[in-house]
Amino acid sequence: MTKRIKTDVLVIGGGLSGCMAAINAREHGARVAIMEKSHTERSGAAGTGNDHFWFYDPEIHGPRGWTIPDMVRDISTDGEYGKTKGGLMDQGLLEIVAAGTKEAVDRLESWGVQFRYDKIYPWNLQYTAPKGERRYRIVPQFQSEWDTLNYDGRDIKKRLTEQCLKRGVDIHNRVAATGLLTVDGRVVGATGVHMRTGEFHVFKAKAVIIATGMDQWRLFKPGSGHWFNSQSPPYITGDGEAMAVRAGAEVFILQAGKTQHHGFQYWRNICRSSPAATTCYPAGRLVNAEREVMIRHPAVREPMRKYRQNVEDSVAEGKTPFYLDWTDAAEEEVEYALWAYGNEGLCWALQEIMKDLGIDFRTHMIELELEEPGRTTGGFLAPFIDTDCKTSLEGLFACSPVQFAGEVAAPTYTVLGWRSGEKAAEYVKDRPEPILDEAQVESEMKRVTQPIDAEEDHTWQEVNLELNQVMEEYKKYVAGFNPPGKKDAVSVTGLQNTLEMLRRLKEAKMKACDPHELVRCNEVMNLIDVGIMMVEAAFEPDQYRRGVWFLGKLEDGQVVFRTEPIKVKYPPREAA
Amino acid sequence: MPPVFKDSCISCFKCVEICPGDVLRESDGKPEVAYTDECWHCGACMMDCPAAAIRLNLPLWMRPVAKRLK
Repeated sequence: MTKRIKTDVLVIGGGLSGCMAAINAREHGARVAIMEKSHTERSGAAGTGNDHFWFYDPEIHGPRGWTIPDMVRDISTDGEYGKTKGGLMDQGLLEIVAAGTKEAVDRLESWGVQFRYDKIYPWNLQYTAPKGERRYRIVPQFQSEWDTLNYDGRDIKKRLTEQCLKRGVDIHNRVAATGLLTVDGRVVGATGVHMRTGEFHVFKAKAVIIATGMDQWRLFKPGSGHWFNSQSPPYITGDGEAMAVRAGAEVFILQAGKTQHHGFQYWRNICRSSPAATTCYPAGRLVNAEREVMIRHPAVREPMRKYRQNVEDSVAEGKTPFYLDWTDAAEEEVEYALWAYGNEGLCWALQEIMKDLGIDFRTHMIELELEEPGRTTGGFLAPFIDTDCKTSLEGLFACSPVQFAGEVAAPTYTVLGWRSGEKAAEYVKDRPEPILDEAQVESEMKRVTQPIDAEEDHTWQEVNLELNQVMEEYKKYVAGFNPPGKKDAVSVTGLQNTLEMLRRLKEAKMKACDPHELVRCNEVMNLIDVGIMMVEAAFEPDQYRRGVWFLGKLEDGQVVFRTEPIKVKYPPREAA
Repeated sequence: MPPVFKDSCISCFKCVEICPGDVLRESDGKPEVAYTDECWHCGACMMDCPAAAIRLNLPLWMRPVAKRLK
């Protein structure tokens, strides 16, 4: 059974960026459909909330001497945080994001998301608002200016879903996208499968926007040891990236690297909002076993090197483990942090779980997971877009995932989502309805549904585990075996072995017992395709040059790579 | 393991509707966890339950480790 849907703009993924894209494409007169694997009310990385939103308000930041280029420069090169980004950030996109944040906040506010309050606190940025206006709760984050809003973002996806429905966006929940449809190199739609009914979906569209989220979770062995113990949704599995690769769109590729310093990514056992996040402000500090303060709070912008040195010293002196410690905070600070924390991602649920377990921030320190220097981090791949959110393929746009635009995730995807909706709507104007290649639809259906028809065979879990093991090998071969500071090189033989194993794994037959499992099988198939592209690219010496973005695509079944010089619009101040 | 449904559940199936991981299903007129291992423990079900009939039960190996000071 097949369901056919006709639309102007198809948005794949109804998270924060996808909903913004859909709403704005409707505003610009296009018919819009969303294909969403989950349910738009709670899907995506913002599904259960977001509590910190980087923004630039000319009326607040202007008088403080900050301009949009200052913000861009700070977050991509100059600031404590920017310095860690290796100059890879796309300043062109960042500038669009920075310039669009205030408008995005106003828009979200008009849809019922509360950003301004009667009461602001001593630890918020103190500023004067026009008479009668409530004020933002602005806090410092990793950047050099006070530029982040704490707000009631827990139900942001509900508000966005309401706006989509109000405008007549055709939402298809529980339909997982499986492939893009093309005719003569132009994207004309996509296919998907319903996770509960198994019904195959064929969307015919004049333009498609990829908004499947910024992660390829389950490609690498998770640091927490368990696929579904993750900070971002474990259901964001590189679907958009794999579809883009298979259709021949150019993707940005970043290889696995090796960390130089100790790090804290999550609490011991439970992968939730990291201890270094804004979400503990102003109550939290990071301490060693003797309760010596490593960093009061990253938001206080102590130099990263001092913080790192403190941690290194504590490790050397055996003063481990490390803790997140709120116990010295004043009650008002605790209440504020609980409010902010409760609006962020998984943290409302965490607070409820803590109540059940008898753990209270006021009386308990929380143990953190310490990661060793020299740990290899996973590689990354995403559709490469221009400042109009266009990919290299006609008719294909993307807003998340895309190349590095910033680690200011929610604002980036809110603004880029909005922009991609407008650009896609402009693109489809006066464009004739495409004619699908039915043979392609047929073969795609066969490829996608094969696991449901298969005889008893490998489970998706079995193939996914093997994929993790192979990608662990890749990480060693690409990042070398030596600890940081020691010389090492990419192992060509190792990479060849890895690639061979991945190609074999791609041929492994999986068995799905129901439509839900069928989607999990497809996720694994997508992850394998992402892995193959990443490893293919790893052989290229240009991959490791500085000052360029490394791009790859499939052309007539062959991988083709090129570099693109990174456009530095705002060089670091010292150099300027 | 993951969501635990109390007797006060009114069988509205909002949790089944919105579960981000698609791990819940309707069974014999009640919600049930169909894919236990795939629960993200995000708490969306607990958040949206109109009858406050859901709690999250973390597996042992996923529980935070805390040190009581006071």
